[in-house]
Amino acid sequence: MKRHLVPALAAAASLTLLAGCGGGDTPSQSADGRQILKVALWNYETTPEFKAIIDGFEKANPDIDVQPVDILADDYAEKVTTMLAGGDTTDVLTMKNVIDYARFGTRGQLASLTEEAKQLDPVKQSGLTSYELSGEYYALPYRQDFWVLYYNKTLLKQAGVPESKLQNLTWADYAALGKSMTKGTGASKVYGVHQHTWRSVVEAVAAAQTGGDLLSGNYGFMRDQYAMTLDLQTSGALMPWATTSSQKVTYDTMFSTSKAVMMPMGTWYGARLLTDKAAGKHKVDWGMAPLPQREAGGKVTSFGSPTAFAVNKKAKNAEAAKKFVTWAAGTDGATAVAKVGATPSLQSQQILDTYFALPGIPNDAVAKKAFKPDQVVLEMPVSDKASDIDQILTEEHELIMTGEKSLDEGLTEMSNRVKSEVG
Amino acid sequence: MTLTATGPTTAAARRRHSIRVGWSFILPNFLGFAALTLVPVLASLALSFLDWDSYSTPKWVGLANFRRMIHNDTFWTALQNTVYYAVGHVPLTLCAALGFAVLLNQKLRAVQFFRTALFFPYITSLVAVAVVWNMLLSPDLGPVNQLLRTIGIDNPPGWTTSTTWAMPAVIMASVWRDLGYYMILYLAGLQTIPGELYEAAKVDGANAWQQFRHITVPSLRPTTFFVLIMLTISSFKVFDLVQVMTEGGPGRATLVLSQVIFREGITQGRFGYSSAVSMVLFVIVLLITVIQFRLQRRSER
Repeated sequence: MKRHLVPALAAAASLTLLAGCGGGDTPSQSADGRQILKVALWNYETTPEFKAIIDGFEKANPDIDVQPVDILADDYAEKVTTMLAGGDTTDVLTMKNVIDYARFGTRGQLASLTEEAKQLDPVKQSGLTSYELSGEYYALPYRQDFWVLYYNKTLLKQAGVPESKLQNLTWADYAALGKSMTKGTGASKVYGVHQHTWRSVVEAVAAAQTGGDLLSGNYGFMRDQYAMTLDLQTSGALMPWATTSSQKVTYDTMFSTSKAVMMPMGTWYGARLLTDKAAGKHKVDWGMAPLPQREAGGKVTSFGSPTAFAVNKKAKNAEAAKKFVTWAAGTDGATAVAKVGATPSLQSQQILDTYFALPGIPNDAVAKKAFKPDQVVLEMPVSDKASDIDQILTEEHELIMTGEKSLDEGLTEMSNRVKSEVG
Repeated sequence: MTLTATGPTTAAARRRHSIRVGWSFILPNFLGFAALTLVPVLASLALSFLDWDSYSTPKWVGLANFRRMIHNDTFWTALQNTVYYAVGHVPLTLCAALGFAVLLNQKLRAVQFFRTALFFPYITSLVAVAVVWNMLLSPDLGPVNQLLRTIGIDNPPGWTTSTTWAMPAVIMASVWRDLGYYMILYLAGLQTIPGELYEAAKVDGANAWQQFRHITVPSLRPTTFFVLIMLTISSFKVFDLVQVMTEGGPGRATLVLSQVIFREGITQGRFGYSSAVSMVLFVIVLLITVIQFRLQRRSER
């Protein structure tokens, strides 16, 4: 008997090991009998619209228990790619941007939502057309962010600049104001402007306001915007890109601690400012102005990106998932999103009224103009090449901003690399 | 007679039993190795000849992934950077580890404290190491550049924000992190050298350098060989520190092969191409390790 003990134990250990490798099947019903719907999203605790949508949907559909699959925002794209590669059955996937959406959609990883998309009005459903891939839709937008200029009312007042001046700002005015409002040195320095390290702050602005194409391989249209940004950096009105990047300085730190007077940023930041102020995390008296333009007195052109929900092709509960996606894109979802200070994809007077009625939201004439740009251009065109081009543009942006390459060299290299590496 | 007749049978049975017991001990580990290492490596080899995005049906593309790699500028940049990192990281870590091990093998005051202090970075979170080094090397506010300015260097390097200095900065941080571990290996090696050798050398009038050169270094040859192999392999596979410290930038200044594998496979979903790059990395590491083994054997003859 003893003779067989060791091999038996070893065999048991091996089986345990193998059993450990196998995946368990999670039940699709919660303990109280409700159908479980899993939704992949990011930073659940600090992104208030997710909770608003989930709570609202559960209230409207008491037979469904929505369970968030919370992923770190920075790792979201990689994590979802890996999940899908492993055959994950999470029902709803949030599409953080259209670059990732194009990848998942063209690979056949998302269920078709073309029928549901046809029910929506593309005029009112801002950003919907960005999700068309060869005549098919695989996601429905529930949020449409665009860029505005945030400003610190207290610091602006101290500098003697009237808020109304920000209503029709050109980039040249913005730069001059930024330089004039920069004060102090070292730890007590207040920067006139803060521009985050993302390439879009320069490149997508230029593309939207000059009509340039980020996929074209010709990037001369970015010259003016880069020249202005580099000049702001040299003058000290903008924290050097190298410092912001190496110190991992967040745009929220810069603005919510009153280290910067003006900051171009997406409308999503308004919701964060609102909830953080309510929670006592900052005391900044903030305002929203339209994004500065190349020319004075013209139409306001901004850039932005919709955020959407898609249904995993391998979803366990595809029907419930479709119900969730359409609810979020519809009036009820839009109202829930607007109530937390985020900008819904569905635009209507009723939604706008809901947004501006929120306590703490700036609702003066400057903010109202900021909230209704004449044109919102997609941050990056939808294409299967967008992801590769984005990588090249990011790498060359870093070299230009750190002064490792001159502006001319950087723009030429961008063009050369996009043409030779992506084609 | 009885003993002679039954002897071989008993011996054979015992041998079979020993084999069974032996296998039973190896089996769990082997199954783990097969499931988690062997199968993925073989799968990666197969994938390198396929076009596969992890979702749709794989397509056989022969050597297309390897051809694309040869014509891809980013691959060559990453290969160059990986070699640059290894050439800097391996000798510097080896020398620093050996130097500190010799120093801390003496009967000094608070020697345990210094040994712990040097080993500490190795057990510290890599993300924390990267963040701290980024702060130290910050171009404007970092203490390193402030110190350089006070000693008269007006334009100190931008470190992680400069294409020239980013890789030396990463190497510096990684040597600092790794040297404690290799120092412990060397300390273990040093303690196996008989003290009589040094006593005899002293009697013969050998000075400290001669003792180090003619006794310590040759006696540590097996340890040095092991350290060299481990360092080389880890240098070619470097990923985490670079990813957290510079993300391969600025531009592509610190982009290494493991990052190309990660970006192409996980981010872009080109598992075939990603596997082809990982196969090339595997072959490079294998060749260098085989060469090191051959050189070691030759020097032992």
